[in-house]
Amino acid sequence: MTMVRAVRAQSGLSGRVDWTYVAAVAGLVIAGSLAMLSAASTTPMYSAILQKHFIALTLGITLFTLTLAFNYQVFQDQSKFVYATAIVIVAATLILGKISRGQRSWVHLFGFSFQPAEMARTLVVLALADFLDRRARRIGDLSTLLTGLAICAPVMALVLKQPDFSTFLTFVPAIFGMMFAAGIDMFQLVAVFGFGGLTISVPLIYTVCQIRWPDAAAHSLPGMILATSRMGFATVAAILLFCALGLLAWRVSSWMRVQVKPAAFAAIPILLSAALLAGIVVHKHLKGYQRNRFVAWIAPQSDVQGAAYNVIQSQIALGSGGMWGKGLFSGTQSQLGFLPERHTDFVFANLGEEMGFWGTSLILGLYMIVLWRIVSAARLARDRYGYLVCAGLASTLAFQLVLNVGMCVGLMPVAGVPLPLVSYGGSSLLVTLWTLGIVANIYARRYALL
Amino acid sequence: MSRGGAVPVERLEILWYVIAAAGLVLGLRLAQMQLVQAAEWRQAAERNRSQMIHQNAPRGRIYDRHGVPVATNAPAFSLIFLPGKDRRRQDLHPLAEELGRQLSRDPEELLEKLEQAVREESAVRLAENLPAQTMFRLSELKTIYPGVDLVVEARRWYPFGRFASHLLGYMGKMSSREWRERKPKGYRVDSRIGRIGLERIFEDELRGRDGGLRMEVDAQGRLKRVIDKIPFEAGSNVHLTIDAAVQRAADEGLRASVTGRGAAVAIDPRNGDLLAMSSQPDFDPNAFLSTDPNEVKSTISDLSEFNNAISGAYPPGSTFKPIAGLAAFQDGRVNPEEHVYCPGHYDLGPRTFLCDEKKGHGRLSWYLGLAKSCNVYFYTLGLKTGAASIERYARAFGLGAKTNIPMRGEKGGHLFGPETRKKAGKSWYDGDTLNLSIGQGELTVTPLQMAIVAAALSNRGSVWRPRYIQKIVYTDGRPDAVKPSERLGLVTAKEEAWNLVQRALEVTVSSGTGASARVPGILVAGKTGTAQNPHGEDHAWFITYAARPGEPASIAVAVLVENGGHGAAAAAPVAKRMIMAHFGIADPAAAKPAPPPAPVPALTPAPLLPAGRRP
Repeated sequence: MTMVRAVRAQSGLSGRVDWTYVAAVAGLVIAGSLAMLSAASTTPMYSAILQKHFIALTLGITLFTLTLAFNYQVFQDQSKFVYATAIVIVAATLILGKISRGQRSWVHLFGFSFQPAEMARTLVVLALADFLDRRARRIGDLSTLLTGLAICAPVMALVLKQPDFSTFLTFVPAIFGMMFAAGIDMFQLVAVFGFGGLTISVPLIYTVCQIRWPDAAAHSLPGMILATSRMGFATVAAILLFCALGLLAWRVSSWMRVQVKPAAFAAIPILLSAALLAGIVVHKHLKGYQRNRFVAWIAPQSDVQGAAYNVIQSQIALGSGGMWGKGLFSGTQSQLGFLPERHTDFVFANLGEEMGFWGTSLILGLYMIVLWRIVSAARLARDRYGYLVCAGLASTLAFQLVLNVGMCVGLMPVAGVPLPLVSYGGSSLLVTLWTLGIVANIYARRYALL
Repeated sequence: MSRGGAVPVERLEILWYVIAAAGLVLGLRLAQMQLVQAAEWRQAAERNRSQMIHQNAPRGRIYDRHGVPVATNAPAFSLIFLPGKDRRRQDLHPLAEELGRQLSRDPEELLEKLEQAVREESAVRLAENLPAQTMFRLSELKTIYPGVDLVVEARRWYPFGRFASHLLGYMGKMSSREWRERKPKGYRVDSRIGRIGLERIFEDELRGRDGGLRMEVDAQGRLKRVIDKIPFEAGSNVHLTIDAAVQRAADEGLRASVTGRGAAVAIDPRNGDLLAMSSQPDFDPNAFLSTDPNEVKSTISDLSEFNNAISGAYPPGSTFKPIAGLAAFQDGRVNPEEHVYCPGHYDLGPRTFLCDEKKGHGRLSWYLGLAKSCNVYFYTLGLKTGAASIERYARAFGLGAKTNIPMRGEKGGHLFGPETRKKAGKSWYDGDTLNLSIGQGELTVTPLQMAIVAAALSNRGSVWRPRYIQKIVYTDGRPDAVKPSERLGLVTAKEEAWNLVQRALEVTVSSGTGASARVPGILVAGKTGTAQNPHGEDHAWFITYAARPGEPASIAVAVLVENGGHGAAAAAPVAKRMIMAHFGIADPAAAKPAPPPAPVPALTPAPLLPAGRRP
C-alpha cells in the first residue's frame, strides 16, 4: 500500500518516465526469459529454475517500480550508509557464504540464495559518484583519483577474496567509466589504469608464449620473455631496458622539440617496471582454471583440459543458427548437451542457435537502445551525481555485454560474466532491474523542479 | 549542478561512441557467423550431433557344386563405443577396467582403443561376436557408461569348421599398411579382409558394400534416434566345383592318416573340375573370429598357411611309373609280355640300385611289374625306352610346370631329364635314367599335378587346367561369371599303350599294392607310391581314378601323406574314402554334415532407448 501511495504522490512523474527505455528493458526481460527457459529445458532442475526465475522476476519488477518511486538523491544523502552496506554484504558473504565451485560467493537467506557481489558493485558506483561529485573542484588532483580508488579497493578486495574474479573484473569499467566521465586528468587515468592493464597483460603474454612456442629456445624472444617471469637477472635486464626506453623517448622528444612534461618520461620506465613486477606476482598466483580460460581464448584448438570446448561449442551453436535459427527448444547443440552452461553464461549462444541472427540482433539492438537511453539519462540528469551514476552503470552494462557476447562469438576469453537480464540467475536479475530502476529514476527526475 | 563546474559532457560522448563501436563490432561478428559462415557452422553442428555406425555387409556366400553353403554368415553381437563430445566429463579409466573384467581382456589395451575413439571422434568396435551371456551382462553397462552400445552384425561363419581351410581361407584383421592401401576402397580400420585362399582371391567379389546408420547422439555419446539408414549390399556368391562330401572325406581321411600331414586332391577327369583339395595340417577358420582372444592368438600362432596340395613339391616315387610305361609302349621298345628277373637289386657298373622288395620279385612282366611296383622291372624298361622319351611324356602330363590354377603359392615342381640337363650344360648318365624311371632323383611334383596326371591317365591324355569356380553370381545385376573348363594339353599315345597302362592300374588295385582302395561295385584303378625322402620317413602316395562300370571315370585322386611310409597303407585308404563319398556310398566312418547356420536377421543396432531420463 505504501508503495502505491508513494507512486501516486509523484503524480506527473509518469509523464516524465522514459517509456522507450522501459519498453526496451521489458523487451529484454521477455526475450531473455524465453531464451533462457528454452535453454534450461533440458536441465534436470527445470521446474526449480522456472520457479526461481519468476519469483526473481516479480521481485525485480517490484524493485524497479519501487526504486522509481522515491528520489534517487536519497542515495547521495545516505552515501555513508550505502558504502557501509556494500562493505557489510561482501564481508558477510565471506563469513556466512557457502562454498560452491570453489567460491564463497553465495549467501543463503530465508530459503533463497543470493550473490551479493553484484549488488555491492552498484552500491560502490553510488558511493563513488558521491565522492567524485564532492571532489568536483579538485577533480584534476591526483589525490582524487587515488582516494576514489581507495574507496573502491576494500569492496573489490573482499570480492577477489571469495574469489570471484569475474565480478571483480566488472568493477573496473564501472570505476574507469565514472572517473573518465567525471573529468579526471587523462594522464593520471591512463597511468593508473594502464598500470592495471599491463599488470593483467603480463601473465597473458607469458601464457601466450608458453602456448604458441612451447619449445622456444632460451635465447629466442619468447624464451627471453619467459625468463623474466623467474624474477632473476632477466627481470632486472627488462627493467633496465624500460629505463633506456624512457631515456630514449626523452632524447627523441627534445630533439624533435616536442613539449612534453619530463615527468611523463620518468613515468614510462616506472610504470612498465612496476607493471612487470606486479604482473609476475599475478602470474605466480593465477589459478589453473583461469589460465586455461586464457588458453582457450588464444588457441581454441589446443584444448587444455577441455577449456576450449566451451568456446568451440558456443561458436558452433551460434553460427549454425543462421538467419532464422532452428526454433525454440530445438537447437541440437543445446538440447543434446553439447553447449555447456547453456542457460547461464552461454545463453546467448543458445539464443543464436534457436532464434538465429534475428534473435541475436534483436537482443543486441535492445541492449543498444537501453545503453543509449542510459547515456541520454546521464546527459539530461539534473545533477552531477545522477550524471556520474548513469555513466558508471552504462559502462558496467556495456562491459558485461561485450564480455559475454564477445565470449560467445569467440572474440573474448571465457570470463564467466553473465549476460544481465538474459542469463539465468535470480540475484543478477534482481540487482540489474534495481540498478536500471535507478537510471529510470534519474531520467524521470531530470528537471530540478520535482 | 549541485557542486563544482560544468559536467564534462564531451567525455560522455566519447564513452557513448566507444560503447556504440563495441556494439557495432559485435553486430558485425554476429552477421559474419550467422549469415556468412552459417553453412560451415551448421556442418560442424551436424557432425557434432550425428555418428555413423557402420554395418558390415554380409559377405557373399560360398557354395559347393551341389549348392551346399560352405562359407556363409551368422548374426553376431558387437560391442561399440561412441565417444561423447564433452571430453571433460568422460573418464575412460573405469570403463576400460569394467570392460576388461567383463571381456577378460587387458584394460590397458581397451583404454588405448577408447582414447583413440575419442581422439578421432568416431565409433570403434571394442569386441566382436559376443556370446549371449556376455551380451546380457554388457547391456547393463549401457546405462552406466554412455557411449557403450551393442549392435547386431553379420559375421562370417564356416558351417563345416575345419573344412577345405586352405582353399577357403579365413578372415583376418588388416595391418595398418594394408588399411592405408585399402582405405580409398571403403575399408574401415576394423574391417576384416580375406586371408589366403578364396576369401583372399575373391575379396572384391565377396565383400559387398557396408551400410550404416546415422544416429543422433548427445554430448555424452548416448544414442538418441536413427536419422537415416544407408542399406548395405551383400557380397556376390561364389559357386565352387568342390563337392563338400568328397572334401570332407579328404580332410577327415588325411587327419586320420598315420602322420596327419599331407594333401589330397580330387579332379573330375571329364572336365578338370576340382572336387576336393585338402591340405593338412589345416585350421578352423571360425577360430579367427572367436570372442576368446586366447583362441584367436593360439590359432594364429599354430596357423599353417602352407597349402601342401599346390605348394608342396615331393618326389612322386612309384606313382610316376605309369608315365614311364606309357612312354615305353608308345615307342614300342618294350614288349609287355617280356619277363624281367628281379633279384632285389640292379647293378649298373659299380653302383647298385635297389628294389623295394629286398628278396626280389623274381620273374615278372608289365602287369605284375606295375602291380607289384617292381623297381628292377622299371630300371630295365627305362633303359630300353630312353630317358629323353620319358622326360617328353612327363612334360606332356604337365610335370615341371605350374598348372596356373588361380591360387597363390603354386609350385611347378621339378622335372629332370636329358633335355633339361643339356640346357643346364650338364651331362646325363644311365644312373639318372634309372632314378627317373621310378620317379626319384631330382624329380619333384605337387599333389595337384599328380591328380591331373591321374585324370589324364583315365581320360586318355586330356590334361586339364584345374577349375574350381563354377560361377560367380553377382548381386549388383551383372550377369553371372561362368568359368569354362580349359584343356592345357593332350598326351598323345597309341590306343594300345593306353590300354596296357590302364589295365595295369586296374590290376594294381584289384590284386596289387593298391588293394586297400578297392570299392565294391566301382571300377578303381590306381598306383601307390613310396617316395624316398632324404629328410626322413618316406612319403606315402596314391594316385587313382574311379568309374562306375561302363561309364568314363568321374573322379581322379592324388593323395600324399607326408612321411606316411607305404602308399598302400597310408595314402590309399584316404583315396578310398573320397571315392566312396563321390559315388555316394555310405561310409560308416563319415559323420553327418553340419547343420546349416541360422539365417541373418535384419541388422539393426540396438540403441539404448530410453537413454537416461528422456525418450
